[in-house]
Amino acid sequence: MKTVKVCCGTGCLANGSMAVAEALEQAIEKTGAEAQVQCAVKRTGCFGLCESGPLVTILPDNIAYYRVRPSDAEEIVQKTLLAGEIIDRFLFKNEKGEKVLSQEDNPFYALQEKIALRNVGRIDPESLADYLAVGGYEALKKAITMTPEEIIKELEVSGLRGRGGAGFPTGTKWRTAASYDVFPKYVVCNGDEGDPGAFMDGSLMEGDPHSVLEGLAICALAIGAEEGYLYIRDEYIHARKSISEAIRAAEEAGILGEHVLGTDRKICFSIVRGGGAFVCGESTALMASIEGRVGEPRAKYIRSVQKGLWEQPTVLNNVETLANVPYIIAHGGAHYVSIGTEGSKGTKVFAMVGKVKRTGLVEVPMGATLRHLIFDIGGGIIGDRPFKAVQTGGPSGGCIPESMLDLPVDFDTLKQYGAMMGSGGMIVMDDRSCMVEVARYYVQFLCGESCGKCTPCREGLKQMLAILTDICEGRGRPEDPQILEALGQTMMESSLCALGKSAPNPVLTTLKYFREEYDAHILEHRCPAGVCKKLTAFRIDPDKCRGCTACAKSCPAGAISGTVKHPHSIDPDKCIVCGSCREACRFDAVMTEGRKA
Amino acid sequence: MKITINGKVCECEKGEYILQVARRNGIEIPTLCHHDGFSGQGACRVCIVEVVEKGRGKIVVSCVYPVEKECEVFTDSEKVQKQRGMILALLHKKAPGSEEISKLCSKYNAPVIDRFVEEPENKCVMCGLCVKACTELSAGAISTVNRGVTKEIATPYHEPSSSCIGCGSCAYVCPTGAIDITQTLSERTIWGKTFALVTCESCGRVIGTKEEIAYAAKRAGREPDTLCDACRKKQIALGFKAIYGE
Repeated sequence: MKTVKVCCGTGCLANGSMAVAEALEQAIEKTGAEAQVQCAVKRTGCFGLCESGPLVTILPDNIAYYRVRPSDAEEIVQKTLLAGEIIDRFLFKNEKGEKVLSQEDNPFYALQEKIALRNVGRIDPESLADYLAVGGYEALKKAITMTPEEIIKELEVSGLRGRGGAGFPTGTKWRTAASYDVFPKYVVCNGDEGDPGAFMDGSLMEGDPHSVLEGLAICALAIGAEEGYLYIRDEYIHARKSISEAIRAAEEAGILGEHVLGTDRKICFSIVRGGGAFVCGESTALMASIEGRVGEPRAKYIRSVQKGLWEQPTVLNNVETLANVPYIIAHGGAHYVSIGTEGSKGTKVFAMVGKVKRTGLVEVPMGATLRHLIFDIGGGIIGDRPFKAVQTGGPSGGCIPESMLDLPVDFDTLKQYGAMMGSGGMIVMDDRSCMVEVARYYVQFLCGESCGKCTPCREGLKQMLAILTDICEGRGRPEDPQILEALGQTMMESSLCALGKSAPNPVLTTLKYFREEYDAHILEHRCPAGVCKKLTAFRIDPDKCRGCTACAKSCPAGAISGTVKHPHSIDPDKCIVCGSCREACRFDAVMTEGRKA
Repeated sequence: MKITINGKVCECEKGEYILQVARRNGIEIPTLCHHDGFSGQGACRVCIVEVVEKGRGKIVVSCVYPVEKECEVFTDSEKVQKQRGMILALLHKKAPGSEEISKLCSKYNAPVIDRFVEEPENKCVMCGLCVKACTELSAGAISTVNRGVTKEIATPYHEPSSSCIGCGSCAYVCPTGAIDITQTLSERTIWGKTFALVTCESCGRVIGTKEEIAYAAKRAGREPDTLCDACRKKQIALGFKAIYGE
């Protein structure tokens, strides 16, 4: 029996993987392959290497194909399925230029260790049978025979900490909620993933919904809750469908619902569709939103485990945290605690995007260095350009320079340097990223996504954006860095929620590690990266230019003139500073220089 | 239990908010978004204080910070002065039209930061008290609209609201006088809607808008008032007099 797995994660879907799956099915039917070799197409969740999609894996031969198009389906069926022939052009090429056959031989996968993502890409998320076949709901069966104390103890031993960003010990959270003799209690799954560039929670919900439900159900057993909510941002259409179908299937099979696994325990879950406000990923704002109120955080001096949803004891966990729970119960906390670093146990999923060669979802043990992630797994910077910075942890995180690439990534280390691991978003930047513009981008994002309730966050961000915009447009003043720092300090110390408290991080870390770029903008009216249009002029270096005409062809404004094999030149009056010529040039001949604003 | 605020020992109940304890003991903490009639919001952040527990200081918001254990509170420490100063400086640029904010700025030595952009003429500091008053006491006609830096207080779609009863509670609780309310002998205009005023049958003094009186009567489960407070008292007194004599 051969299985052709087609990645139907969001990235591959956007690349047309559904059409690939259908084409493969049609080709199998057309060629009568099924009768000859017994084969079936399976639509799975995200394989991880989104950049090279649509991804197809053929089992049991374990052949991994990349960038497969619907028009390739017949060839794959004829040659690989029927004749056992490998088609070279779909294989992955490693650094040495060698073609590799299986996922395991691909450095992107070989260096990962999957716990949270253990089933994603392996099973059909719509099939409960698939989940059961890989040991699904065994942990729940075990947990229902355990006392709450035993479950909580196992979590405490495991050292699991919240994967949403804050890293609060999960066992402690559950223990506190369990200690209150107030009913009803609630469990909530936070699937409002909103960090730009992060998509691990979405992929988990899409690709392995039952793991998330199983984790949430174990939490409900541990604290004594009967009801739970999965708050899923509405943009995650596939995740919502997948979870919704999984709840239905699990209830129908008697795994969840009025009689959990045939016992008299009741655990019912429902989905709440998030309206798309970033701030609703904050736990108290999320709960306000579930209650039907405006999504604004409240002061957390009284914690949600005591008074959360409808003022009742509530445990809220992130999707990835919950996906780890069944694994911990099944394999024991003692096993889990052996993975990771001193203070951060287990693995972490990162969404690696930006100017890195291999983008996608990566799961590694806590404590892997940024260099390992970006260069060994990610394959380095696109075009082998110089690495400049990596932005970790979304808008709450910071920008980390090259000198810190050997830091281990876990909950505590990056915090000491003003950044954070956060929920695991990782945006890699090369020398053509302007760090002032990056800070401005995040501040602008937060200006729209702050709830606007408290003064430091709302007004602080507004003033920060005005100052950063001025700097990017050549109106910066020498005192600006100092004002930004003072503002950042106030926002960090006196904002109401974690969004405001961490909002200045992108600004403060870029000021700390890339101060010379701010100075170049403010004092020299120059954007060293050639990004800020009002501070950039492009010029072609006649010594480097070979007259290949690529720049002239790419210029949308017709600003480049020159003849073949002779140095070209840019007409500054026509140039719109879009940077297309620089991207097109293979000889690094397009230079940037400052421009008096 | 006991806590000390600025060195003064203050008696308090567990769970009481620091602001309450301080005010009861005559210790001043500035606020904008707080009103004794409502639960705390922690929105304006002007009431920040520094709490020292086990030797570690942290900035907390006194209007919603419950006293859980013995601690030392400082309402004017260097840290508080710095952060509160910046918050007031931000509010001053948000609401340059507000005299209240200007007064607070000079009282608490807020820095003047010319670099900040100003919202000319504006008086609203987005403290949210008006919405709270309207939601809890009145008809729920106004709310915050949008989020982030574009958040504002408004009626739905910025149109005169069909549910507004013109009671003026919002304007009454506003700390900066940001809500336009104008009144003549017979009419009151607020949130773009004009209401006819009802006068006391006995003395002719204004007792409120027709809608407001009807709303109050409905909530209280009785006939709408026709007399002002003073005349109603007088009438009740006359009733007693008729029964019990002088």
